[in-house]
Amino acid sequence: MEFIYLTEEIKQQIDRYVEKFPLKDQAIIQSLHLIYSKYRDIEDVHMKELSEYLQVPLNVIEGIVSFYDMFRVKRGARHHIRVCKNLPCHIMGCKNLLKMFEKLTGEKANQYSKNGRFYIETVECIGSCSIAPAFMIDDDLYEGLNITEEKLNEILSKYT
Amino acid sequence: MRYYPNIPDLNVNSSINLLLRRAKENRTVEIEEYITTGGYSALKKALTKFTPEDIVVLVEESTLRGRGGAGFPTGRKWRFALSNPPPRYLICNADESEPGTFKDRIIIERDPHLLIEGMAIAGYALGAELGFIYIRGEYPAGAKILEDAIEDARKKGYLGKNILGTDFSFDILVYRGAGAYICGEETALIESLEGKRGHPRLRPPYPANYGLFGKPTVVNNVETLSNIPIIVTYESYYMNIGSSGYYGPKLFPISGKVNKPGVYEATMDITLRDLIDMAGGIRDGKKFKAVFAGALGVYSERDLDTPMDYSPKGFGGTGTTIVLAEDDCIIDSLIVIAEFFEHESCGKCTPCRVGTYEQLNILRKFQNGTATEEDIKLLEHLGRNIPVGSICGLGYSASNAIMDALKKFRDEFYEHINGNCPAGVCFKND
Ligand SMILES: Cc1cc2nc3c(=O)[nH]c(=O)nc-3n(C[C@H](O)[C@H](O)[C@H](O)COP(=O)(O)O)c2cc1C
Ligand code: SF4
Ligand code: FES
Repeated sequence: MEFIYLTEEIKQQIDRYVEKFPLKDQAIIQSLHLIYSKYRDIEDVHMKELSEYLQVPLNVIEGIVSFYDMFRVKRGARHHIRVCKNLPCHIMGCKNLLKMFEKLTGEKANQYSKNGRFYIETVECIGSCSIAPAFMIDDDLYEGLNITEEKLNEILSKYT
Repeated sequence: MRYYPNIPDLNVNSSINLLLRRAKENRTVEIEEYITTGGYSALKKALTKFTPEDIVVLVEESTLRGRGGAGFPTGRKWRFALSNPPPRYLICNADESEPGTFKDRIIIERDPHLLIEGMAIAGYALGAELGFIYIRGEYPAGAKILEDAIEDARKKGYLGKNILGTDFSFDILVYRGAGAYICGEETALIESLEGKRGHPRLRPPYPANYGLFGKPTVVNNVETLSNIPIIVTYESYYMNIGSSGYYGPKLFPISGKVNKPGVYEATMDITLRDLIDMAGGIRDGKKFKAVFAGALGVYSERDLDTPMDYSPKGFGGTGTTIVLAEDDCIIDSLIVIAEFFEHESCGKCTPCRVGTYEQLNILRKFQNGTATEEDIKLLEHLGRNIPVGSICGLGYSASNAIMDALKKFRDEFYEHINGNCPAGVCFKND
């Protein structure tokens, strides 16, 4: 089978996982992370290719994708904004931060991205409560206290 | 130059400089610096001066308790696993997803070799050849930092085959989770680590008997394992750190309405009041109202002089302390916590799955002005029954905050029934 989404680089990395972990199934979640970092979504086509490549039944992969929050949600965007909404961030004003994000990106929180650039998700504690309200864009973590629209725009402009 | 994703400077301070000795600045301590500042000397000492049994005895005598939440004595946990034949596995729980908890990441991101050294010594004591670090998916930088640090440790002979020329071999693999709080529960973690959905297992059997791949397994928190090099270094002097029975350094992640939120290292005899002082006192000169601490219990002004230890009236748990001021609403905060439990319940036990949903809906009635006294009774009913019908710690603790608040801030429930929010948070139209 030809793999379209599993690039050579991804396949090599998957091979390394299969080699280093005692059990092949241990490569599944790690491989999904590779796909997620590249495509910022896990879609049916990705799961089919992974199932084929790892020779693991598709339903097993679907079961995992539907369980873990980082994979489950369909986002439809190149970049993924995570705004924490748990208690420390809540009392430190994450609602305002969220409004700013919605205004600047034109997207609504937790809704499939309209223009394909940003998906905004409200998430549980991301372990950064001393810089509340905390947020992540893709793999980067930021501090949201006293942030201005101007500053936020500057940060967003790094993600094209 | 290694590239890691952006991490802002999380404020860190220590009065005793043990766990956070090298971790006060926002940078990763590389292996050379770790070694020149005394690193890996505890591993050397362990392998050359002590038998595995000696290490287990040292850990037992240290009174070290697990820093992952349950506070179980670490030595005893190791003993259980040792009573079963090898192969044995060691797992480091770096899932750190409890609201308000951000202490393990400081060790992982800033002083990863402290954890690696602790794991290597633990592996030696347990007769394990392979260890895993299960790190939450939302710590991508931490995962990379650990991978690199492990590779460096292998190159220097602190991990891998025949460590430091002895016949002890041990290696560590990093495994990323993917956004599920329940995977911090040790049996769910093991399921997830085996490449499955993270549903907790029915216990017994405990992981010490039947863990990863069905083999005896020890699951320990990052901070617990990072204490091991300190115990081996200090031996009986470790018992001079802190007060009787609860020896050793502890990390306290403090967030919310304090002037300097951050991770503070102290001994466990510190009181809540002193801890808040350490974090610069309450923000904007406001009055203290409450903390969410321990296993997300709620504490009021009357608990300010309670020590942050594992005694029955202490705070125990992870050291997590979320501080609320007079302008924060208890009901509003409970709703946030209830949403969290409703979202994170894995759904295996009906009382937990349905109960967390129901308690959230009832709480919301207090915020939208439709609650009656009957709802207080319903909350108490759920709080008594969800834990009974649950098989894991999530279900056991899902109502802690509500039950505590019903005792300590009962007035606020009645105020809300009457359409009044004392903190001025609810009943606003925006
Ligand atoms: C729902 C739930 C989540 C948990 N999350 C974590 C966690 O993120 N990190 C952790 O170390 N322990 C967590 N625990 C506790 C673990 O089950 C286990 O007790 C701990 O990892 C044991 O390590 P220790 O003895 O070193 O504390 C959690 C428990 C429950 C019930
Ligand atoms: S108590 Fe809740 S989280 Fe734990 S296993 Fe049961 S349903 Fe899942
Ligand atoms: S509550 Fe937002 S980072 Fe912890």
